[in-house]
Amino acid sequence: MATVEAGGGGGGNPEELAVGCMLSIRTTLGDEFEGQVVTFDRSSNILVLQEAPSKAGPGPGPRRNIRLLKANYIKDFTFLGHADDPLDPNNCFLDLAALQAREELAIRQAEADAERIGVGVTSEAQSIFDALSKTLPVRWDKTVIVVMNEVRVSSPYNPDSVVGGTPAANERVKKVLDFERKRLQLRSSSGQ
Amino acid sequence: MNLQQVGQSKSSNGYGRRKYEKGATKSDSKIPPGKSNTSGVAEVTGSKSGTYESPSHDRLVYVTTCLLGHHVEVQVKNGSIYSGIFHATNTEKDFGIILKVARLIKDSSLQGQTSSVETVSKATSKTLIIPAKELVQVIAKDVAVTRDGQPSESHYDVHQDIMVDSVISQSRHVEMGRELQRWVPDDDYPQCPELENIFDGSWNRGWDQFETNKTLFGVNSTFNEELYTTKLEKGPQMKELEQKALRIAKEIEGEDTHDLHLAEERGRYHDNFDIDEETRFSSVYRGKGVDDSGYDEDEETRLDSHNSETFGDITGSVIKKLGEISGRKGNNGAQTWSNFSKMDHSQPSLSNTGVDLGRSRSDDHAKQLASELSTQNYSFSDGESRIQNSASDRNETSGSATEENQQAEDVHLSKSEDLRPPHNLKNAVSVSEKGESLPNTTSYTPSHIISKALEKTVLCGEFTGTSASGKSNEETKVANSRVRVGSATSSGSDNVGDVAVSSGPGLSPSSSVGSLSSERSTLNPHAKEFKLNPNAKSFIPSQNPVRPRSPVSDGSFYFPANVSTVPNMPAMPMGIGVGTTFAGPQPMIYNPQVAHMPSQAYFHPNGPQYGQLLGHPRQVLYMPSYLPETPYKG
Repeated sequence: MATVEAGGGGGGNPEELAVGCMLSIRTTLGDEFEGQVVTFDRSSNILVLQEAPSKAGPGPGPRRNIRLLKANYIKDFTFLGHADDPLDPNNCFLDLAALQAREELAIRQAEADAERIGVGVTSEAQSIFDALSKTLPVRWDKTVIVVMNEVRVSSPYNPDSVVGGTPAANERVKKVLDFERKRLQLRSSSGQ
Repeated sequence: MNLQQVGQSKSSNGYGRRKYEKGATKSDSKIPPGKSNTSGVAEVTGSKSGTYESPSHDRLVYVTTCLLGHHVEVQVKNGSIYSGIFHATNTEKDFGIILKVARLIKDSSLQGQTSSVETVSKATSKTLIIPAKELVQVIAKDVAVTRDGQPSESHYDVHQDIMVDSVISQSRHVEMGRELQRWVPDDDYPQCPELENIFDGSWNRGWDQFETNKTLFGVNSTFNEELYTTKLEKGPQMKELEQKALRIAKEIEGEDTHDLHLAEERGRYHDNFDIDEETRFSSVYRGKGVDDSGYDEDEETRLDSHNSETFGDITGSVIKKLGEISGRKGNNGAQTWSNFSKMDHSQPSLSNTGVDLGRSRSDDHAKQLASELSTQNYSFSDGESRIQNSASDRNETSGSATEENQQAEDVHLSKSEDLRPPHNLKNAVSVSEKGESLPNTTSYTPSHIISKALEKTVLCGEFTGTSASGKSNEETKVANSRVRVGSATSSGSDNVGDVAVSSGPGLSPSSSVGSLSSERSTLNPHAKEFKLNPNAKSFIPSQNPVRPRSPVSDGSFYFPANVSTVPNMPAMPMGIGVGTTFAGPQPMIYNPQVAHMPSQAYFHPNGPQYGQLLGHPRQVLYMPSYLPETPYKG
C-alpha cells in the first residue's frame, strides 16, 4: 500500500495520481523492473504496470508489456517521474469474440508447441530437438528423440546414441546432430 | 449502479463492452447488476461517482481482459514461474488466475540452477489454477492494449496464421498493412546447419556445389553447362549484345498482350470478374484451333506408319513364318493379300514389295503359310508387334510382309517356331483376333504390319524363327529379320539355322534394308554396346513350341526409342521395353560369330525387336551360326 501513498497526497484519489507514474520497483522475490502505472486496484491489491516492449510487434496499435503485480510483494520502489495516463479512456474497446478466438488459437498453438517439448529432458536436449526439427520430422518419445519415425536418439544425444533407421537416414541424423552440437558449443562458448 | 458500472452486455457484435466476467467461460455467470452499457468505453475513467476503486478496478479489469488468450508468465509465491495461456481471472474477488496449457518453467525449488544442462522441462497441464494468494505477478508481452476503435482489426490477429503472402504484401488492400521485415534468425536459437545462408549474396556465391559434392560424397560431376544452353560467346561484343538483348527483352515485356497469363506476368492485372478462376489461372489454353478430336482416327494409321518405319521389316517376319507355316493356305493368302494391299500406305516400299511378293509367291508361300496359319493374318505391325499374318501368303512372300495374324497364328505359328518372337504374333493375334476372315481383318492392320515391317527388313539374315527352316527361306529370311513374327514361339531355335539368313529372294533384305536404312529409325545409334555377361543365367527355351498365346499385353507394346541396337543373343528373349523375362542381363551385343548385320540399327535377331513383345522366352531369332537350342549363356 505504500504505493498508493507514494502516488500522491492522501484522500482524493490516490490511485489516480498514481496513474501514469513511472516507477522502479523491486519485489520481494528479487525481481526488479520499471514501468508506468496503468492502474492500481485496491480491492485486489494489484498494480498494473506497463513497459514498452523491446521490439515492435506485428499488428495495429501500440504494444506493451503488461505486468500485474500484487502490491504486497513490492519490497520497495522508486518514483521516477510522472507521465500521462497510458490508457486512453476514450479508446478502450474490447472485442470479446476476437479475444475468444485468439484464445482458442493460442491454445491450439500451445498444444502443438507442447508436443515439441520433451518432458523431463534437459534444455540441451531440447535445443538439439529444436535444431533437428528445423529440417527433419522429429517427435519426442519420452526422452528419446525419434526422427522420421525410424531413427532414435537417446540420451546423451551424441552421434553415438543414434540408432535405427536405414543406414542413410542414420547417417544423416548423425551428421546433423554432430553439426548441431558443434554449433551449440560454439554458441555457448562465445557467450550465450 | 453508476454509469460506469459495466453492466452485462452480451453484445454479440463483439465490439463491446462486455461484462467483465472475463474468460469466455464465465460470461454468463455473475453478472453484476447494473445497467448494461453499450456505449463507448469512456466509462472506465471519469465518473467518480462510482465506488472508490471503481475506475481503477475497471481499468484492471480492462487490462486483464486484454490479456485473455495471451501467453503469459505467472510468478507465484514460492518464486516458481508458470507459463501458459491466460484464460480467466476472477475479477470479482481477488483475481485468482486460470491458465491453460501451462507449464512450469522455473522451479523455485531448484535454486540457483541456471545451467542449461540441468534444467529439465516439465509436462504441461491443461488447466492450471493459481489462487490469488499464490499470485505474485503476471507478465505479458506485446499486448495490444488499446485499439483504435476498429474491432475488425482483430481479425488480423485471428487469421494471422493463414495469411497469404500476396495479401500481406499487396498493400493496396491492407489498411492495417504492415511492413515486411526481413527475417533474421534468432541469435539464441540453435540454427540448423543445413539452413545456413549459403546463398546469401550475389550470384557469385563463392560456393561450388560440384566441389562440395565431390568432397563430401566423392561424386565427380560431368556437368557441362553448355549441354543445356547456348554457349555464350564472351568477347568484346558482349556488352553490346547484352544491351541489345536487354532492349529487346524490355520491348517484349512491355508489349500488350491478350493472353491473361502473360498479362499478369507483366503486371497488368485485369479485373474482369467474368473470367473464372480456371481460365485465369489454369495453364491450358483452350483457344480456337485446338482440336483434339481428330486424333483418334488418324492415330492408328500414324502409329502404324511410324511403327513400320521403325520396325519395318517385321513384316518380314511374316515371311519367315511363311516358310514355316507352310500352311498351304494359299487361298487364305490370297485373301489376305487383299488385305494387305492396304498396307500400302504405310510402308511403301517394302510393304508393297512384300505384298507383291506375296502375291507372286503366294502360291508357294501362301500355301505354306496358309496351311499353317490358315486364316492367320499376319498383321505385321511395323515391326512391332503387330504382325498380322494375313494369311500366310503374305508372309511368305516377302519377308516383308510378315503379317501374321495372331490368332490362329499363334498357334500355328508357334509351330512354326523359330518365328520370331512370338510377340510379333501377338500383335498379330490381336489383330487377327478379328476373326478368320482375313479380308475382314482390319483394313489397315495389314498395312501396318506390312508397312513397316517391310521397310525394314532388317533381316540380315536374321531369321526370325520362322520355322521355315529352309522352307521359305527366303521369306523367312526376310521375315525373320523383320518379323519376328512372334507367333512362332518357341523353338525357333531349330530353325535358326535355316532361317538365318536367307535374305529372301523376294526382297533382298539387305538391299531393302539398305534402302530402308534411310528411313528414320528410332533406334539409338549411341546405345551402349552389349557386353556379354558370362554369368548370366542361360535361357532355356521351352521345348514345347505350341504355347498358348498370351494375351497381347504380354509386355507393354512399347517401343523405346533407343533400344539397344544390339543383336541379341540368340535365344535371348528380348523384350524391348517389356522388361520382363530376360534371363540374363540385357542382351546386348553379342557374339562375334553372328553374321554381321548390316545395319545394326535395325534389327537384331533376337534383338530388341520392336515387334517383339516379348515377354516371355520366345525363341527369338537366331544367329545364323547359332544353334538354337543352345541354352543361352548369359
